[in-house]
Amino acid sequence: MSALKRVQQWATFARVWHIYDASWQNPFKSAELLKKYLMGLHKPIYHPMNDCGDHVIVINSGDIALPGDEWKRRVYFHHTGYPGGATWTLAWELHSKDPTMVLRKAVYNSMDGNLQRRYTMERLHLFPDANVPTNLLKNVSNQIQQLKAKPKRLDHYSENQVKQFPKIFDYPKDYILK
Amino acid sequence: MLLNMNMIVPLGILRNVLFQSKFPIRSMRIFPRLQLKEIREVQNEKELVIYGEIVPSERANILLKNTHPQACPLCASGLDVKHTDILIISQFVRSDGCMLPRRITGLCRTQQKRMSSLVTMAQKAGLMPNLNPANSKKDPKKRFQWKKFNKYFDESTIKS
Repeated sequence: MSALKRVQQWATFARVWHIYDASWQNPFKSAELLKKYLMGLHKPIYHPMNDCGDHVIVINSGDIALPGDEWKRRVYFHHTGYPGGATWTLAWELHSKDPTMVLRKAVYNSMDGNLQRRYTMERLHLFPDANVPTNLLKNVSNQIQQLKAKPKRLDHYSENQVKQFPKIFDYPKDYILK
Repeated sequence: MLLNMNMIVPLGILRNVLFQSKFPIRSMRIFPRLQLKEIREVQNEKELVIYGEIVPSERANILLKNTHPQACPLCASGLDVKHTDILIISQFVRSDGCMLPRRITGLCRTQQKRMSSLVTMAQKAGLMPNLNPANSKKDPKKRFQWKKFNKYFDESTIKS
């Protein structure tokens, strides 16, 4: 085997580390995206028997966004196994207890329930904010693009930007500005 | 007390009006600081002339050109406004976050209704925290329970 082929072999089967910023992203749509990287579905060498999944670091999982009033509509069910041991936790309650759990469960539930699922989940590294240990961060070689742009707040624009932005209508002549 | 600001008020009448009131005389301001009408005072002999003058709007030179004058400004612009386009949405809102009426915005019925939905969406998503009543906690992260987490909306859910 030539040196080139050897390096090609290493590069093909090496585990790549990706980073993903989850701020203002839908966790359930993000899960479908992250699952491809975790399972290695994006690789031409993919096969269910081939352990070729990548690592994904997810930052700002505390800043995920849900559509509409889903924070109080979505319910997480748990049963302890004992009589009367059922609990129903709302998404916002779960998120205030653990800011990574909604996304972790979304990724876990997006995958098929087979023996590989637990090992695939081990390759997902979730962080509620942007503080990632440097020993993980130095492995990263790719950034996964966000599904939608992070909206910018009005008070984060400068006063001049807001003032100079083209206006749709003019006030009536006798209008008193408030 | 009714004062037509375009009318010239002789000082005698003004003094009578002020002295009749039970409350002490205060420096009064009928219009707030940001105004399209400005109050001017001119002291002639024996006569104080107070009049309101219309000030040219600051918006005049950055106004979007309306190519279809028969349509409302938003229909004419052909913009597909989303609830995240706050530089556009904030133009239709007072400093306390209230929606401006149709009399002032000049929008058609459909667009006014759609815009008011977009304003609500942007406010719920916490994108305009500085345009709120004075007693509000400006930071969206300090909101109560589920309201403190990020949320977004789908514009196709607006009924029109």
